Amino acid sequence: MTTTTPTHHLRRSQLYRWHVNALARFEEAAGSAVVTEYAGADNEVNQATRLALVDLSTLPRVGFKGPGAPDWLDQQGAQLPDSPNQAVRQQDDSLIARLSDYELLILADLNLNSTLPAILQDRWSLASANKTYSVPRSDSHCWFALTGADAAMALSKVCGVDLRTHKFADQTIAQTSLARVNAIILRNDLAKTPCFFLLSDVSSAQYLWHAILDAMVEFHGRSVGIAALRALEAKPQ
Amino acid sequence: MKILNCPLNGPRNIAEFSYGGELHRMPDPSKCESREWVEHVFFNENKAGIVTEWWYHNASSYWFLAERNTVTDEIIRTFPASDVFKERVDFSKETGEAQE
Repeated sequence: MTTTTPTHHLRRSQLYRWHVNALARFEEAAGSAVVTEYAGADNEVNQATRLALVDLSTLPRVGFKGPGAPDWLDQQGAQLPDSPNQAVRQQDDSLIARLSDYELLILADLNLNSTLPAILQDRWSLASANKTYSVPRSDSHCWFALTGADAAMALSKVCGVDLRTHKFADQTIAQTSLARVNAIILRNDLAKTPCFFLLSDVSSAQYLWHAILDAMVEFHGRSVGIAALRALEAKPQ
Repeated sequence: MKILNCPLNGPRNIAEFSYGGELHRMPDPSKCESREWVEHVFFNENKAGIVTEWWYHNASSYWFLAERNTVTDEIIRTFPASDVFKERVDFSKETGEAQE
């Protein structure tokens, strides 16, 4: 892990000033900075098992759409979900989310070991990928993770879809209204800890971050760094 | 709260959707009279009864069709646009046939 500051990189989270003010420690991640942890915070791993919000906006992700997109991704060796609003973990730990029959979103893993997002981005061209169009999700969307046993209850305050774990299975997607902004909600549990990835338009990043933090107050939730998520993923609770 | 059943995402609060207008039969733009094209683009039948309409799910950018009774405001059914539009409309060709 290499410590860094957001301003050392051209690419920054829309929330980096908030993180700096909250005494975040940053590490380098794919040519940018992601919050490792916040200084002075108590055990962030325990917090993440109860309720915590993490900003993953600088992690790699890419999207493709068009009638040829499923076939093209299949030719690249990707494993696709059978139906829309489902996600599948890939061999390199990246995650492919099927948003519709002809639209797919590829998310990097938390440890940044996955190579698929970069490979697909390099291989794609309008000429070579028949009826497949690039959707540069890194620039259009912010990416948060809400983790912990109370995550679904906190989301129920700002979302009409029933996200309780016995109703909304792991690796399932809901494209819906979250605190009155459009969002993609993807359940991606970290071992036994419920975790929801939240992706929304970058222009709403500041608003959505604070709206979710506000919904979390009742459950004593707060923001943590990516190190807590990695620890949860590696060590089943 | 009114619920609309999105063919892609399932039942959702109708606040998540935008109305897209009546489904019109599109005349061939290269052959029709200007009046016919203007009527297609700007005019609605506004019928009292069951009509087929475009609806859009905002969160997933998904257009679909719904049959709705404009008298009772009851939604009869919703279905993917691909049930009606089997092929992409190619505006560079003169098809000579009207599109749905």
